[in-house]
Amino acid sequence: MVDLARVQKELHECNRDVQVSGINVTLKGDSLTHLIGTIPGPIGTPYEGGTFKIDITLTDGYPFEPPKMKFATKVWHPNISSQSGAICLDILKDQWSPALTLKTALLSIQALLSAPEPDDPQDAVVAQQYLRDHQTFVGTARYWTETFAKTSTLAADEKIQKLVEMGFPEAQVRSTLEATGWDENMALEKLLSS
Amino acid sequence: MGEIDASSDSLVAICTYTLAFIFFRVLCKFFIHGACLKGEYCEFSHDWKDPPNNVCTYYKNGLCACGSRCRYKHVKVSEQPSLPSSSAPAQHLLSASPPTTLSPGMLADDAGPLSGISYEYMASGRPFYPANQPVRSENSEHHDVAEIDNTVELKIINPADQSICSFAAAGNCPRGENCPYIHGDLCPICAKHCLHPFRPREREEHMKTCEKRQKRLDILKYSQEIECSVCLERVLSKETAAERKFGILFECDHPFCISCIRNWRSGSTSSGVDMNSTFRTCPVCRKLSYFVIPSVIWYSTKEEKQDILDSYRAKLRSINCKHFDFGNGTCPFGNSCFYKHQYHDGHLEEVVLRHLGHEDASTVIAKNIRLSDFLGNLRIR
Repeated sequence: MVDLARVQKELHECNRDVQVSGINVTLKGDSLTHLIGTIPGPIGTPYEGGTFKIDITLTDGYPFEPPKMKFATKVWHPNISSQSGAICLDILKDQWSPALTLKTALLSIQALLSAPEPDDPQDAVVAQQYLRDHQTFVGTARYWTETFAKTSTLAADEKIQKLVEMGFPEAQVRSTLEATGWDENMALEKLLSS
Repeated sequence: MGEIDASSDSLVAICTYTLAFIFFRVLCKFFIHGACLKGEYCEFSHDWKDPPNNVCTYYKNGLCACGSRCRYKHVKVSEQPSLPSSSAPAQHLLSASPPTTLSPGMLADDAGPLSGISYEYMASGRPFYPANQPVRSENSEHHDVAEIDNTVELKIINPADQSICSFAAAGNCPRGENCPYIHGDLCPICAKHCLHPFRPREREEHMKTCEKRQKRLDILKYSQEIECSVCLERVLSKETAAERKFGILFECDHPFCISCIRNWRSGSTSSGVDMNSTFRTCPVCRKLSYFVIPSVIWYSTKEEKQDILDSYRAKLRSINCKHFDFGNGTCPFGNSCFYKHQYHDGHLEEVVLRHLGHEDASTVIAKNIRLSDFLGNLRIR
């Protein structure tokens, strides 16, 4: 059984100093076992300015088993799958310790964003690019951050505006964009297929 | 209650009555049964003409539990042949005098509280008033006599022989300044008047035990605050008593509750992970520890930790190892086992020294075989 008392304590603790750490954990639904964590992109990296959502699922063994975490926001990083958002981080696997918490795990992920490990990649394509063509990597990562990790009203309005100009009704555009995580291309595909 | 009340004269008579046996020829009770081993040297009479001593000593001393069913004679003290009181040495008063103000009924009724608190009173020969009884004889004529008699007696004896007022020691003496008994000095630790002014050894002992208790209380208070690093709860505030225990790791000082650390170390929740490098380590600092010490208190110094460890190991040493099974089985932990390896006939397993052939043909005795040496190389598949 998941130690719900501990999860509740962790949530309380984490949300207390959200102003300092910028790390936030909220419930996804009614259950305490499905959570959404948000971390700000580290300053001085291509991820700066972005807010990254991480999907957290707690297994029955928690806190003796690591929580299952993956990026819900698309991110261009050698240790994070650009397709699925899967994270390659030892503390989420064999190096997990029950003394770690959701907050410390999210902090570790934030640290991973600022210190990629291309030698132990999750996404081979990104890792190759990171090693061979660092300039392009930084550019792509920044572009992805701008595109997917910034949910400022301005960017959202821009996207809606663009799709509405293509001839789709605004309500439908908005709901489709929300469903696809504000991914313009995916939303367009979906709108076209519907 | 009047029948038992004794004047100070008869009190002395009671005390000295035993001496009277030497002077009055009384039939030997062993002789009656034909079993006196002393024969002609017996102090008591072996002459059937002499009267047997079948006076109830319990009744004489103030109470007889058998009452009317007693097979010995219940004779009033005044009926006894009495000796002149001046001949009674003072110390006999101390050793033999019973509490004179007690009636048999009172004693029988208050048997419960009496057995607990009156011991000291009985021993010191002081009149005893149960706490719930009014001190009714305070004003009675007869008691005043006893009182005076007592104070006289107290002057004679060494103050170190007199015990302190236990009302004052318990916190409050109703007589205050007028109490004829010594009020103990204030103990700085427990804040009670329980230090005997004239018994340095007793004082020292009390201080020692008091200090120990205080220290334990402090430790317990400190332990209350400690949180488990895994469940983030205060270990001593957990729901069930079994959970309110710390699991101390040998190599580091991070606090866990016993269930959390055991759960983690059992490693049952995951598979395919190296036991030693993951589950045997501290969840906080990842230091490898080979065993967990259960304890109801947390420690603040190295010595306290060592004490906890020592007492734990001593406790396990007294329990027979179930693997060894009195020599019927084999214990995988061998010499390093914490439990007792004892055979059925009571002798302990001897430590067999291992002789190792060295390369240069000399023999070496392998010493200090430690379980951890093996566990270090052990890989769980």
